[in-house]
Amino acid sequence: MAHFLEIDRITKVFGTTSAGAAAINVIDGISMNIDEGEVVVFLGPSGCGKSTLMRMVGGLETPTTGRIVLEGREVKGPDRQKGMVFQSYSSFPWLKVLDNVRFGLRFRTDIDAAEKDRIARHYLRMVGLGDFEDYWVNRISGGMRQRVAIARTFAAGPDILLMDEPFGALDAQNREFLQLQLRDLCLKERKTVIFVTHDVEEAVFLADRIFVFSARPAKILEEIAIRDLLPAERDIKLRESETFFNLRNRILGLTRTQALRSEQMEVSQ
Amino acid sequence: MTLLGTASFVAVIALWWAVAALHLLPPQYLPSPAAVVSKFYVLLVKYNFIGDIGISIFRVWSAFLLSAAMAIPLGILMSSFPIVNGLSQSMIDFIRYLPVPALVPLTIIWLGIGESSKIALLWMGTFFQLVLLVADDARRVPREYIEIGLTTGAKPRQILRSIVLPAMLPSMVDNLRITLGWCWTYLIIAEIVAADSGIGYVIMSARRYVKTDEVMAGILAIGIIGLATDQAIRWLHRRWFVYLT
Ligand SMILES: Nc1ncnc2c1ncn2[C@@H]1O[C@H](COP(=O)(O)OP(=O)(O)O)[C@@H](O)[C@H]1O
Ligand SMILES: [Mg+2]
Repeated sequence: MAHFLEIDRITKVFGTTSAGAAAINVIDGISMNIDEGEVVVFLGPSGCGKSTLMRMVGGLETPTTGRIVLEGREVKGPDRQKGMVFQSYSSFPWLKVLDNVRFGLRFRTDIDAAEKDRIARHYLRMVGLGDFEDYWVNRISGGMRQRVAIARTFAAGPDILLMDEPFGALDAQNREFLQLQLRDLCLKERKTVIFVTHDVEEAVFLADRIFVFSARPAKILEEIAIRDLLPAERDIKLRESETFFNLRNRILGLTRTQALRSEQMEVSQ
Repeated sequence: MTLLGTASFVAVIALWWAVAALHLLPPQYLPSPAAVVSKFYVLLVKYNFIGDIGISIFRVWSAFLLSAAMAIPLGILMSSFPIVNGLSQSMIDFIRYLPVPALVPLTIIWLGIGESSKIALLWMGTFFQLVLLVADDARRVPREYIEIGLTTGAKPRQILRSIVLPAMLPSMVDNLRITLGWCWTYLIIAEIVAADSGIGYVIMSARRYVKTDEVMAGILAIGIIGLATDQAIRWLHRRWFVYLT
């Protein structure tokens, strides 16, 4: 049966095009299938190739070999179907909060301005920023800025949401709050999401499924079906439960050796 | 202007005034501030100094606008297309290291001593610098911004208009302001060498008769115009880009 998203024997080698630079083998033959409405987390040490794989799904990088097929069509480049949330520069400082969210709909010609407005305000309220429409994004906190980016991406109505460590620069409290809000939003909207992180607790809390990446060149070390182990609806108390704690410890053990390998690789580079 | 900025101005003028009042230097070397200001006034009312100031401003702004109108599109093209960059980079680097005064004889031979030779000189002095500054401004637009555009379905033109231009605008306005300052430097060179009007011409003719107060009145005029323009653009910068503060 065809899946919503099929990642089929992907490899990626950087540096072969520009003369002189040594080739870096980043992705070493990864395959996976993702179903509609799933929240999938790529977990792995820094520099292992998580972003690269996700960017290939978004059409922002091309695989060296292999195919990525989204809803039956091979991914050839970026478009509105695949929305992105970045860790930094995630919103435009020259636009106010509401205009940033509206930007997600700016280039659509199939709906009129009033409808765009309605959608933008709807998602701004969903992320709890209804009262901040008229703020410049530089005047709000980092956590609020990430919520603006999330609202913009949801408003754009993509088929799949790609989030590259969107909470990586936030403090712990803010991060927990945003994880909770995002998990909620994903359930309500039944969006397919790929979320990249190197934070184990974040991965466990958000995911329906986690793919644990090895150090570079990235392979899938293990696939963990969190949805079979934790309830779909998650709250703060879940973090203190024994199941959560045990899961976290097991995955931490799995990633620790990879993180070490990855670090040694960075130093020797 | 800040309090400190004003204070340093006042201090320099006070020192100047003191040196002149104590007759430490003959007035041919250093006329008093009062003498310079009164000369400035005489020039304005009796010698059509306003006309000279006007023609200088006209030359500066014509060249500046011409430079900007050409440098902004070419700079953006250089930043987005390696081929345009490759074709123009070394040529631009060669020309921009040529000292502007060395080009004066050439512009006179080619274009005579009319307005066009002066504007051409200022253009050569600023265009090749500005185009590289603009290309840098465009290259510094974060990749994320462009990718937000790509993943919301923007076409290249829309990315240019709705993302690249607004993102690079604050630093570009700063660079334009600095370039406008260079125009004044080069203008005086052009007017001192070959002109029969303009502030530089006034300064040069006054020098011939050692009318130091008149020379300094001319310099004062340039200083005032420069300061006023700079402050005006900074003010606009703060108004347009409130979101930066
Ligand atoms: N455009 C590129 N050119 C060359 N090397 C790259 C490029 N993008 C990423 N890399 C390299 O690929 C490796 C994986 O990067 P990335 O996917 O960003 O890792 P992660 O997101 O897991 O931290 C890193 O070693 C990085 O230096
Ligand atoms: Mg990354």
